[in-house]
Amino acid sequence: MKRKPILALSLLALASCGGPEPVDSETVTTARNSPAAVRYDQYGSAGNLAPPAEELVNPFNGDPSAAEQGEVIFGAMNCDGCHGGGGLGFVGPSLVDGRWRYGGADGALFHSIFYGRSHGMPAYGGLISDATVWQLVTYVRSQPLPGVVPTVAWP
Amino acid sequence: MATPFSLRAAIGALMLSTALANVALAQDDGQWTLPGKDFGATRYSGLDEITAANVERLRPTWTFSTGVLGGHEGQPLVVDDTLYAVTPYPNVLYAFDLSKEDYPLKYKYRPDVNPASVGVACCDAVNRGAVYAEGKIVYNLLDGRTVAIHAESGAELWQTKVAELTKGETITMAPLVVGDRVLVGASGGEYGIHGWIKGLDLETGDVVWTGRNMGPDSVVLATPGTFKSYYDTGTDLALSSWSGDSWQRGGAPVWGWLSYDPELDLVYYGTGNPGPYNAEQRGGDNKWSSSVLARRPSDGELIWAYQFTPNDNWDYDANAENILTELEIDGRSRNVLVHFDKNGFAYTLDRATGEVLVAEPFVEVNWAERIDLETGRPMVDPTKLTGKSQGMVRNICPNLEGGKSPASPASYSPKTGLFYVPTNNLCMDWQSFDAAYIQGTPYVSANIPYTAGPGGHLGAFIAWDATTGQRVWEIKERFPVWSGSVVTAGDVTFYGTLDGWFKAADARTGELLWKFKVGSGVVGAPITYRGPDGKQYVAVYAGIGGDWFLIAGDVRSDDPADVRPPSDFAPDLARYTSRGGMLWIFAL
Repeated sequence: MKRKPILALSLLALASCGGPEPVDSETVTTARNSPAAVRYDQYGSAGNLAPPAEELVNPFNGDPSAAEQGEVIFGAMNCDGCHGGGGLGFVGPSLVDGRWRYGGADGALFHSIFYGRSHGMPAYGGLISDATVWQLVTYVRSQPLPGVVPTVAWP
Repeated sequence: MATPFSLRAAIGALMLSTALANVALAQDDGQWTLPGKDFGATRYSGLDEITAANVERLRPTWTFSTGVLGGHEGQPLVVDDTLYAVTPYPNVLYAFDLSKEDYPLKYKYRPDVNPASVGVACCDAVNRGAVYAEGKIVYNLLDGRTVAIHAESGAELWQTKVAELTKGETITMAPLVVGDRVLVGASGGEYGIHGWIKGLDLETGDVVWTGRNMGPDSVVLATPGTFKSYYDTGTDLALSSWSGDSWQRGGAPVWGWLSYDPELDLVYYGTGNPGPYNAEQRGGDNKWSSSVLARRPSDGELIWAYQFTPNDNWDYDANAENILTELEIDGRSRNVLVHFDKNGFAYTLDRATGEVLVAEPFVEVNWAERIDLETGRPMVDPTKLTGKSQGMVRNICPNLEGGKSPASPASYSPKTGLFYVPTNNLCMDWQSFDAAYIQGTPYVSANIPYTAGPGGHLGAFIAWDATTGQRVWEIKERFPVWSGSVVTAGDVTFYGTLDGWFKAADARTGELLWKFKVGSGVVGAPITYRGPDGKQYVAVYAGIGGDWFLIAGDVRSDDPADVRPPSDFAPDLARYTSRGGMLWIFAL
C-alpha cells in the first residue's frame, strides 16, 4: 500500500528543486516575491488576516514547465478536491470561467493560496514554499480561459 | 470511565421514562416534533382530511422566503401552534406563530456561524433540521456547534462545540433527543475525519460520551459480552479491519438520520463512506464505515453493528434513515429496521440483532450480484472494484449519489404496508488516485464521471414492499428524485422533484394526483400537521442544493464570479430551476 503523503512530499521536493529558481528578491528592487510569513497551523483564521497591500511578481511568469509542476501540485495538495479536476469548480468556485471573486492577477492568486480566503479556502502559506505557490499560480493562469459569455440559451 | 452498574441502570430507567413521554408527543398527528415524525422515523401521519379523492383541490395557503440560497434539505417542525424552520448556512432558526393570521414570526435566532465552514462542507452548506424536546429546539450549526433554544422565547439556553472545523468536521445532520441525551454526529467523509457520534446532556449541553465509529473497542465503546454482532465475533473489529493506522482518518461520518426503539432502548444510525476513495489505501473491511450501528443512548455502548458495504470501493455511505416497524416475514412477525442504502439494496433487518432478513436491489445494481443472507456480505463483482491499480473502471451502478440519496428520507405507511422511496437512476465510471492527507482539506482523489442509468430517466419515486423486497409501483422522473417523502392515513404520499414540482400520488396505486410548481428544486422532506384551525396542512421547503448544487453548479445565479457549465448527464436542469429557499404551506 502506498501512502500519498510520502508521494506528495517527494513531489514537493521535486517541485522546489527541479523547477526554475524563483528570482532572488534582492535582485528585484521594485517588487517582492513573498509576503510576510504565516504558519500552517494558523490557516483556520488566516483567511481573515488582511494581507499586506503589495504587488507581487510571479518569478515563473508563463513558464510552461512551472505550469506543469503546478498541475501536479494541484492534485497532490488536494486543490482538485475542492475546485474539481481541471479547476472546473466543485465545493470551491470554478477557476476556469475567467471570473474571479478575489481578483485574477498574479498577486491576487498568490494571496488566495498563501493566506486562504474566508469561505473555506485554507492558507497554504508555510505549508508549501513560495516557489510552489507561484507554480500553482502559473498553472492556474496557463489554463485556457473562455471569454466571459454572459448568456446561456437553450434551443 | 466505568459507571457502577446500579447507577447506570437507574440512569437508564430515568431516561426511559422521559423517552416514553417524548414517544407520546411524537405520536400526536397534530404536531411534527421529531425529524422523522416519530422515533421509528416512519414519516407517517394519521391525518386523513386530505385524501386521494380530494387532494386535487390542494392549494398553497402561505409562503415565506428564507432569505438563503443553499440546498434546503430536512423538514420544518410543528410544536403546538408554532412552526420552526432551520435554514442552510448561516443556520437561521425561524419560529412562526400559526395561531395568528399571516403566521408572523415569534422570533428568529441568528447564530454567528464561521463562514470558513462553507468551504469544509463537502456537499453544499445544508442543514437537515431541528428536534424538539422538553421545551427546547435543538439543532446543529455548520461550524461544529450544537445549540439549544428555548422553544417559546427563542433564548439561547446553551451551545456546545462538538466538532472541529480544522479537522474537516462540519455538522449537517438533524439531532435526535432520547430521554435527556442529545445525539449528534459530524460530516466529513471526504475530509479524512475520525467519525463519531456524541451524547450530550439535554439540560446543560455537556458532552457525556463520544463513540467513535472505528478504532479500538475502548473508543468505539464496545464491550465483549455486551457487543453482539450477528455476523462478526471478536474484539477490536473496528481496528483490525483497517490496514495500518488508516482508521485514524478513515471517515465514517454521521450526517444522516437517527431512529430509536424505546423497548430495546437502542438508537440506530448509519455511517458514511470510508476515506480516502482509493480503497487500496485502507485494506480490510473498514468497520464500521458504511454500516448501521445500534447504541444505548444513555452511555453510548455499542450493542450491535452491521456493515452494508465492506471495504467500500464506491462511496456508498449508509447514512440513510433506518425506519423501524413491525412486518410479517415468512409467516413470522418481526421487529424490523428497513434501510434503503446508497449501494442500491434495500435491507430489512431484525433490529434486535442486526440479522439480515431481506436484501434486494431497489434500483439497477451491478457492483454486487446479491447479498448472501448467511454471511450478510455482498457477492461483489470483482471487475467493479475501484482501487488505484484497477485504473478507470467503467459502468458501475448505482453511482456514488446512491440508488437513493441518504439525505432524502423515505416514508412508511402501516395502512398500506409500503415504503415510499425517492430513487436515482445513475451509474458512474471510477478512477482512483493516491490521496494525500492534509488536515482540513479533501481526502478523496478520484475522477468519477456520471452516466444516466438504463431507461433514459434519471430518477423515480417508488413504492416498496420490504417483506418480500419488491417494487410495487413507480413514477418515473426526468431528474433524480432528491426530496424526502411523507405518507398519510388519507392514502396520499407527497414528494418533490429537482425541476421544482411538489407532487401527490395515490399511496396504493402510484397514480399521480396533483402537482404544483414551487419555484426551485425540492430536496427537503415534506411534513403534515393539524393547524390551530383544525385543518390539515402540508409543508415543504423548496430550494435546490446539496450535492445537486455541486454537480449541476449551473443552477446558481447569485455569484457573478462562479459560472459553471451544466453537467453532461443532466444538461437541462438549469433550464427548469435555479436556487432559492422558500417555505411552502398547502391545504384544501
